[in-house]
Amino acid sequence: MSVEFTIDGKKVTGEEGNTVIDVAFANGLDIPHLCYHKDLEPFGGCRICVVEVEKGNRRRLVVSCVYPVEEDIKVETNNERIRNVRKTLIELMLARAPSSPKLLELANEYGAERNRFPVEPNNCILCGLCVRYCDEIKGKNAVGYVGRGTSRRIIFFPENAGEEAQECMKCQECFNLCPTGVMPSNFGIYTLAHFRLK
Amino acid sequence: MLKNAEDLEKLRNELLKDKKKEQTQIAVCSGTGCRANASEKVVAAFRQGLQDLGMEDEVELKNTGCHGFCEQGPIAVILPQDICYLRVKEENVEEILEKTVRDGEVIEELLFEDEGTKEKIIEESKIPFYKNQERILLAENRKLDPKNIDDYIAHGGYRALSKVLQEMTPEEVMDQVDKANLRGRGGGGFPAGKKFRTTAQAPGEPKYVIVNADEGDPGAYMDRSILEGNPHRVLEGLIIGAYAIGSSQGFVYVRQEYPLALENLTIALEQAREKGFLGGNILDSGFNFDVAIHRGAGAFVSGESSALMTAIEGWVGEPRPKYIRTAVSGIHGKPSNLNNVETWANIPLIMDKGVDWFLNIGTENNPGTKILSLVGNVRNTGLVEIAMGTSLRQLIYDIGGGIPGDKKFKAVQTGGPSGGCIPTQYLDEPIDFDNLSRIGSMMGSGGMIVMDEETCMVDVARYFLNFLKEESCGKCTPCREGIKQMLDILDKISQGKGEEGHVELLQELGDFVEEASLCALGTTAPYPVLSTIKYFQDEYEAHIKEKECPAGVCKELIAYVIDEKLCTGCALCRKNCPSDAIAGEPKETHTVIQGKCIKCGICLEVCPPRFAAVKKEKAGKKVLVEEGGN
Amino acid sequence: MEKSKFVGLRLTPDEEGLAEELQGLLGLETKSSVFLYALQQLAVAYDLIPGERGKVYHNDWRKTVNRLAELQEQAQAHARFLEKIKNQSEGMFNDMVEMIKDVDTIVDQHGCDEGRLIQILLDIQRENNWLSKEAVDWVARRLEIPANRIYHIATFYKAFSLEPRGRHSVAICTGTACHVRGSMRLLDRVSQALKIKPGQTSADLKFSLDTVNCLGCCALGPVIQVDDEYYSNPSSQELEEIKEQCE
Repeated sequence: MSVEFTIDGKKVTGEEGNTVIDVAFANGLDIPHLCYHKDLEPFGGCRICVVEVEKGNRRRLVVSCVYPVEEDIKVETNNERIRNVRKTLIELMLARAPSSPKLLELANEYGAERNRFPVEPNNCILCGLCVRYCDEIKGKNAVGYVGRGTSRRIIFFPENAGEEAQECMKCQECFNLCPTGVMPSNFGIYTLAHFRLK
Repeated sequence: MLKNAEDLEKLRNELLKDKKKEQTQIAVCSGTGCRANASEKVVAAFRQGLQDLGMEDEVELKNTGCHGFCEQGPIAVILPQDICYLRVKEENVEEILEKTVRDGEVIEELLFEDEGTKEKIIEESKIPFYKNQERILLAENRKLDPKNIDDYIAHGGYRALSKVLQEMTPEEVMDQVDKANLRGRGGGGFPAGKKFRTTAQAPGEPKYVIVNADEGDPGAYMDRSILEGNPHRVLEGLIIGAYAIGSSQGFVYVRQEYPLALENLTIALEQAREKGFLGGNILDSGFNFDVAIHRGAGAFVSGESSALMTAIEGWVGEPRPKYIRTAVSGIHGKPSNLNNVETWANIPLIMDKGVDWFLNIGTENNPGTKILSLVGNVRNTGLVEIAMGTSLRQLIYDIGGGIPGDKKFKAVQTGGPSGGCIPTQYLDEPIDFDNLSRIGSMMGSGGMIVMDEETCMVDVARYFLNFLKEESCGKCTPCREGIKQMLDILDKISQGKGEEGHVELLQELGDFVEEASLCALGTTAPYPVLSTIKYFQDEYEAHIKEKECPAGVCKELIAYVIDEKLCTGCALCRKNCPSDAIAGEPKETHTVIQGKCIKCGICLEVCPPRFAAVKKEKAGKKVLVEEGGN
Repeated sequence: MEKSKFVGLRLTPDEEGLAEELQGLLGLETKSSVFLYALQQLAVAYDLIPGERGKVYHNDWRKTVNRLAELQEQAQAHARFLEKIKNQSEGMFNDMVEMIKDVDTIVDQHGCDEGRLIQILLDIQRENNWLSKEAVDWVARRLEIPANRIYHIATFYKAFSLEPRGRHSVAICTGTACHVRGSMRLLDRVSQALKIKPGQTSADLKFSLDTVNCLGCCALGPVIQVDDEYYSNPSSQELEEIKEQCE
């Protein structure tokens, strides 16, 4: 069933079950995104793809990679409210991955300050692309999360990949997905023998 | 096994006949609170004592659930006279049995004494703590042995279910709940009837009904007391709800930190199955329904509805972006109706006593009652059930007995970590969902934490934010990183390292976290900070500009010192200091070694009042002690 | 086939015995048939006549022998492996086997249902006081789910520990009501008395210390829970007594 609505004033058509970002991309519109990948289940964690949706007389910020398209909604992708949120998101992420090329590019675009928050780098913004790629596309489940909150980390389980973990070393396909561009060094640090959380 | 409604009524009549009229009953509270105060020993002593006196056939001893007056536990109530004994210890039991139960005399020392008039009050119903409440749910606890379904039946239990199955269609049930305007008691205040309808009408089978007993708000234990004391009440409500919605599978998600609630609930489910209230063809109605228990494993965030459902599916209990209601797409994508324990517990009452009865209690848009946990710096701490619309002042002073130690009231924190602090000027505001939200807080699960003048509001904000930081699942950037940055700023402020602009930054980050977070943990996380900044800005300024903690709480901004003019060298402080931070020879002036002091305050507590030589100084910029005392 | 020439053989008792056995194995009617069969097989083996090598029995027999040799090798490898573990600690090895059996029982009690994963892990944690790598692997195998999902759960929830916990659990309530009544000071005192911080286990595996959010005994605040007992604001002396009582 087709759904008609507007994005930034432009009339667009989507299918029921599509997300806003899918329809935006299909229409050549650009929305910044970090944890979104067209071949993976949407995650909704980085929040940078936020857009403002007006439905009836209600306006609210939603993440476009998860929000299902609805008839007659008015979507805005780049107003001041949205830009403010994106700016703060980038500033917070830069505190974790200060030399990420992708983040620096976004920082330029949104006027984010590089050292607004004290830098505690772990070179991971927990976008989860590596985990989801290995789960959904490779089917090897060799990458996973441990912990919660600020103790949340990405961990490798190479023994899951099979054949005494050699497959994981040979594959390395998740490296290309990492927005911080620093995957290889993470790969060495976090292999799981038996993980102890501080 | 009760095959139909007639069987149930027959059983009920038999049970009532068995109960001897005017039989003496001793109801001893065995809720977790009183148990922690050795109520089990009291019960054992009563049991033994009754045997010794040969009275075990005439007197009924009951282990009940929580009575609510937790500050004064263990509690034993002698019926039918309604004599309420407080702070009962093992040693008192013999006297109670001989004097009161056998000879009909009252023991003065165990009665409630009014702080002001010194009057002793005998009957439970006359004690101000109880008198000013509207205990439609909690009053039952005192009458029932939660491990015995027959007790529940004898007191009218499952009558509502029987009536619903025999006389009402599912549509009619939803209609009643709608008209009664029962609003979710877990915190959201969402109309329960509306949620029932959404689930019933959503496409997809099977449909699920869920009891949210994860109760993670620190300081809240209402749900625990209902589950411990009256599990069948909740179960009956759940079965009625399932019938209305068209669900045949229910779940109760209980946090594993509640062992007694789990135990009593498990027993209740078994007994309900035996009697035929769960299973196939319940009371010959053709309706099938059963319940499974899921235990939580220690995460506050898993009490959020989408997280809870994810945990029931066997995944990590993290919230999901909720643009499609869980009532439409919940467990395994099927329509799932989740409600709080207290919400379910209200349903049998509404079915049994009628919509009008319910609407008569409370206020127009907020009918019924709410169970609150009144705790903190208040005299009568415990569980309180009030009609909606009761004012905060009535709650804290008439029921709560005011602030102990003649200290002044400063604020009451409501709604747990999602709520805000309400200051003195709002004491006469009525307690209900809409009003509390209007004045910048929320009802939440019903925690009411009273704070006196010795509470530092910056410390309170920091406490809640720290709690939320620990409990955040970490999936989304705003909550995970935003709360951390806000907490770092609050840490600095409370350590005397606050700077100009920090308050503004807290507000900016607070707004950001509220707008951009994935779930309600994140979106409501800034409220304690924002509400304390709004009402107690002067405290923040004192911390930042003067490096002072007016309430004398923030460790780095206080120092314990010994007045050399008053110290006699009795050495009590030195002997009790856990970190060897006091130096001095016997009979000579002692001094505190600031570098080692961990600010535990024990020296101040043990210094004999006639000397009162230990003082807590609110240090200004001059005494900023380094961390790491041990 | 026409038979015309008669060939007689004198057999030793051993040869006779062999012939009889083969007769049974091959299901032939007479001992002479055995020798005729052998003649035929040799001719096939030397490509003198066309034919299938060895009938059913012959092939099976060889397969069986090969298989037995394989199994013998595997069994010897297992035995060497077991010897190695056994030599480390017989007690530890037996414990591990017992532990896997317990885990198996728990998984079965929950109907081997993936949705009950957290419940299964809770039961294992309660039974063994921790979730060992072997236990996690076994649950992953039985439920046919990837281990990374279990590790996320095990590190997400406070109830689980990937390392052995102490025999006695000590928990300080840091709920709001207790906090307002000074739970942080109580925590300091207990931490000093046990010489460990929250989240740690003592080196002798006797105590594990943790904070917990609201035990629901707010009237007794600040509260400490040792195993199943609760204590209200114990003094340093009382803490020592409690410590003594724990073995």
